[in-house]
Amino acid sequence: MPTSVLIADDSEFMRNLLREILEGEFEIIGEAENGVEAVDLYGEHAPDIVMMDIVMPIRNGIEATTEITEEHPDASVIMCTSVGQEEKMKAAIKAGAEGYITKPFQKPNVLEAINDVVPA
Amino acid sequence: MYVDIQSLGEFSDLASQGADRAADALGQLAGANVYVDVTDVTLMAAGDLREAFAGREFVGVEIGLRGGIAGQTVMAFELEAAESLVERLLPGGGDGELVRSGVTEAGNIMTSGFIDGWADHLGVAIDMTPPAYVRASGTDILPDGTFDDDRQGVFMFESQVSSMDEDLEFTIYMLPEYAGFTEMLGHDGPVGDTGDAVPVNKLPTFNRMTEQGAAAAADNITMMTGTETDVDVSRLRFVPVQDVPAELGTETVAGTVFELHGDPSGYLAILFDEASAEEVAGGMIPTETEPGIGDMEKGALRELGNIMTSGFIDGWANVLDTSIEHTPPQFVHDMGSAVMSPLVSRLGQTQDHAFIIDSTVRTPDGNVRCDIYALPDQRELAAALDRIEPAATDGGSLR
Repeated sequence: MPTSVLIADDSEFMRNLLREILEGEFEIIGEAENGVEAVDLYGEHAPDIVMMDIVMPIRNGIEATTEITEEHPDASVIMCTSVGQEEKMKAAIKAGAEGYITKPFQKPNVLEAINDVVPA
Repeated sequence: MYVDIQSLGEFSDLASQGADRAADALGQLAGANVYVDVTDVTLMAAGDLREAFAGREFVGVEIGLRGGIAGQTVMAFELEAAESLVERLLPGGGDGELVRSGVTEAGNIMTSGFIDGWADHLGVAIDMTPPAYVRASGTDILPDGTFDDDRQGVFMFESQVSSMDEDLEFTIYMLPEYAGFTEMLGHDGPVGDTGDAVPVNKLPTFNRMTEQGAAAAADNITMMTGTETDVDVSRLRFVPVQDVPAELGTETVAGTVFELHGDPSGYLAILFDEASAEEVAGGMIPTETEPGIGDMEKGALRELGNIMTSGFIDGWANVLDTSIEHTPPQFVHDMGSAVMSPLVSRLGQTQDHAFIIDSTVRTPDGNVRCDIYALPDQRELAAALDRIEPAATDGGSLR
């Protein structure tokens, strides 16, 4: 069974880019445009990995990560964001994120981050 | 309210580093060689800000900042640059929604790069609102609320980013909320012996005074050449000394430079683009001359510069209640950056950052353009501003 991934990003452009990178090697179970959708889709599909943006409307990625990891302590979330502030990274770790990659990224960065969290 | 010069310098440096990171991000995203031309801090009258943006069409990404710093950022691309970016991000194109999403995400990534350094330096978190794609003319590209308080003016960090091989130029505007930002730059005491604090509430007055000086200089051009001119824009910028030449770019200019003696001392440059120099000099010479800038034109431009300088600095001297003298005019005809380099190297011996007072005088049809650059000694300017009588700062509006 391929590793399943949920993509959460408010940018259609970035969701497309991540899908292009991941398709073929991973099973993409869904795409969320905000934190609320991310929490809902996680509840429905329980993917192996969530690629989570931080700055999103309605509910941001850190709040969504907190909600997911509180409900599902085994959840694996990789922050996939343009925000590189140290305080934000600390907040992401505190929320339960296991990995962090900074946009703009290349395919090897994404695969390395996923392999760190879910070894092949 | 006193603003600490060192702090203002640090923020200027942070903006410069942030712009470098934003340029790197764009370079990676678009696969282009992108670099930062120049970063400066401007304190500008709202009316001048409107004029600086007038007649330009932009595509941009607007993001609000909350938390450690409150304010707004805008990444603004002129239309052609935005089209280049889209072509780079989405070769072959995409639907309108996807194009907007691509530009928005690029703006989001670059803004994060710009802001991260500020947050880490201040040891705070800065929250960004979700990015908003905007397409607008003139100052409509700037955030709502930019002109809410004409009385205080606008602090604006501005970084121009260019590309070596593509039309990918864009500008990063960061407009912190005035009250909070001046509080952050706050300095407890008055100027003191070190001159490391500037009374920021008096800067708008100084700006207004500069505008009046520029208006007097414009009147002198009109009087001496018969060419109707007016002050187009006037602003006070704060930049690293080494970046001053880049502000003037590589366009060839002709005009005069002066050394100022008094309080404040410093330098003044009155520079025309070549075509404008020929036109105004021609207006002063009663006989036909060869095309180009010959001896007759040089003499005319020296004289014009001499008179404009007096008109420009007289207002300063009167409001600052001081006496400012200037040296005889030195004619210059070179790239703008080359004209400014020797002045800056002298100024750079005593200060790391410089205030540039920049006024543009233009004819209504835009055929003649003259830029007046004043580079006062930072500490002497601070001390002189501190002496401005409170009455001189009353009245509020910068215009």
